[in-house]
Amino acid sequence: MAKYVARRLLQAIPVIIGISIVIYSILLAAPGGPEQKFANNPRITAAQKAKFIAAWGLDQPIPVQYCRWMGFCDPKQPGIALLTKSGVPNFLPAALGGGDNGMAHLSLGFSIDSGEDVATRIARAALPTAILAGTALVIWILLAIFLGVVAAIKRYSLFDQAATVFSYVGFAMPTFWLGLMLIVLFGSTLRWLPVSGMIDARLSPAFGTADYWTYFGANPLAAMGDLLRHLILPVITLVAVSVAGDSRFVRASMLEALGQDYVRTARAKGLPNRVVTFRHALRNALLPVVTNIGLEIPFLFSGALVTETIFSWPGIGKLTLATIQSFDYTVLMGILMITALLVVLANLIADVLYAVVDPRIKY
Amino acid sequence: MSQSSLSTAAAGPGSSGTGAPAGSGADYEVDLRSLSQFELAWRKFKQHRLALIGLGLLFLIALAAIVGPIFLPYQNVPPLPDKIVYAGRPPSLAHPFGETGGLQADVLMLVVNGARTSLFLGVTSMAIGVGIGTIVGALAGYLGGFVDNLLMRIVDVMLSLPLLFVILVVAQFFRDARDNVWSIIIVFGLFSWMGVARLVRSLFLSIREREFIEAARAVGVRDRRIIFRHILPNALSPIVVAASLIIGGNIISEAFVSFLGFGINPSTPTWGNVLSNSLTFILVGNWWWPFFPGFAIILTVLAVNFVGDGLRDAFDPRSRA
Repeated sequence: MAKYVARRLLQAIPVIIGISIVIYSILLAAPGGPEQKFANNPRITAAQKAKFIAAWGLDQPIPVQYCRWMGFCDPKQPGIALLTKSGVPNFLPAALGGGDNGMAHLSLGFSIDSGEDVATRIARAALPTAILAGTALVIWILLAIFLGVVAAIKRYSLFDQAATVFSYVGFAMPTFWLGLMLIVLFGSTLRWLPVSGMIDARLSPAFGTADYWTYFGANPLAAMGDLLRHLILPVITLVAVSVAGDSRFVRASMLEALGQDYVRTARAKGLPNRVVTFRHALRNALLPVVTNIGLEIPFLFSGALVTETIFSWPGIGKLTLATIQSFDYTVLMGILMITALLVVLANLIADVLYAVVDPRIKY
Repeated sequence: MSQSSLSTAAAGPGSSGTGAPAGSGADYEVDLRSLSQFELAWRKFKQHRLALIGLGLLFLIALAAIVGPIFLPYQNVPPLPDKIVYAGRPPSLAHPFGETGGLQADVLMLVVNGARTSLFLGVTSMAIGVGIGTIVGALAGYLGGFVDNLLMRIVDVMLSLPLLFVILVVAQFFRDARDNVWSIIIVFGLFSWMGVARLVRSLFLSIREREFIEAARAVGVRDRRIIFRHILPNALSPIVVAASLIIGGNIISEAFVSFLGFGINPSTPTWGNVLSNSLTFILVGNWWWPFFPGFAIILTVLAVNFVGDGLRDAFDPRSRA
């Protein structure tokens, strides 16, 4: 087992490096750049602009920038400088005289836009996304299993047909459109629920600040209630579309399990229906479901892109859009690389988990 | 017609077996023409009720997209002073889909004009994607070895990219162009071929081992002819099913990308752009503005998926009709 995991991890390294090269090239080849934010500012002279570009190394060829981003080149020297000024290879740890920049030193660099550490900036946006995506994930898994199982047990019933229609429509529906309709209905017409942000600015300080946590500690109930009210609409948007596909998957998987020989055997033994359905069929039917949902989790990290944009949720998705617009290459690379890593990891975990829970699988 | 020819054909062997004398006057015209693969598929397709509904819907939507803009040309009518209504107007007899806020455009006009661009984009980008995918998959599956390995690794990398992000970034290349419909179509085409490539490769791998390919090779048919004349027609039906799903997917993706402001130039009406514009006035409560373009998207994608389902059942030899 350990050997298998190790081999899979090793295999993932070239894939991730390949992905990083492709994304980096596309990003930097795109027209425009971080200096665009000065385009309409008459106070910035050409010399200042040139200095900004040089300071961030944006004047270097793409391979050089990539080499620096990876941490193999020394950014303090022009061109591909694999050795630091003291003659030590740059990718070695700083303690051994190497550089301190780039992925080789586990640094994602600094945001061109704000100068902050990229990891800090991503971590700050990750909490709201985790709250939103985590809540959505729990509800969506439970709902998908419930809908799928009931539809499978009562096959061709009215409920099953309604679930089928729902999933067909869910498949065809753009996520953001559902979000828009919810905003129109509950936000602007009925005025029941807030439609943007995480907190009510009239009640509490901005989310994530130190003030907010003091406020949260002082009256946790009010703060939680406020957060929950803001969560309702984005969570519905995320859940509705995802459940459509997954409940179908659960239904198919459950139907297959119900047709197995061991289910017939269990029934022949005279076990009550409930035991057969839940103990024998459901547990086996959930195996592929676990894998499937595991593979979808990394996309929650980025997949909330639209939902976050519509509901002004200050998470990763909103950060991504902002960085695409401002050409903040370092932050964008950080987000994309973390997503790619999560995808690879989720694939691995799903495979291993599947082998663990299903003894029939050998690897 | 096919139904009657079949019954004649069924009766045919019996009657001709008795050797009816030519002079008996009964002049049977025995039509022994067998149904082609596509006629068989069409017969099964016709029994798939949802697929027929989907086909009808698609026909109507396409008709609206082609004819609609002739009657309702895309234009921004400068509003009359007394007609300025901030929130737009709800659906009425003159404007069945309502009017937008701001410039008071007719939503029906926007939807119909958007249909033209969105459908066009869905179909053409699908054609590009399926074309690339088929060629890549055919080469990989037929040639095998090094070429196969190289092409499939490229597919692997493409599939593990967070595609939406990449599309957003690539769309930046064409952001400033006044008319960037074709650039966006090509971007979508370039990012929708991987699934088809894998599918075609697996089909080619199995079909190229069949006897009739061996026979063709034995009589000296050249590789190119084997690929296009002997293997491809046999692989066509799964490709058609995959293609139908890509159309729906690309229409939704276009709406998404345009909605975020990275897609087709906002001056060109597409369903995504109409939705995107509606966001500005959304808090005023004019539900009709975002509702109808989104409804059009759902209807179109539903119809395409129904047709895809019908095609899958029709082409699947295991399903009975």
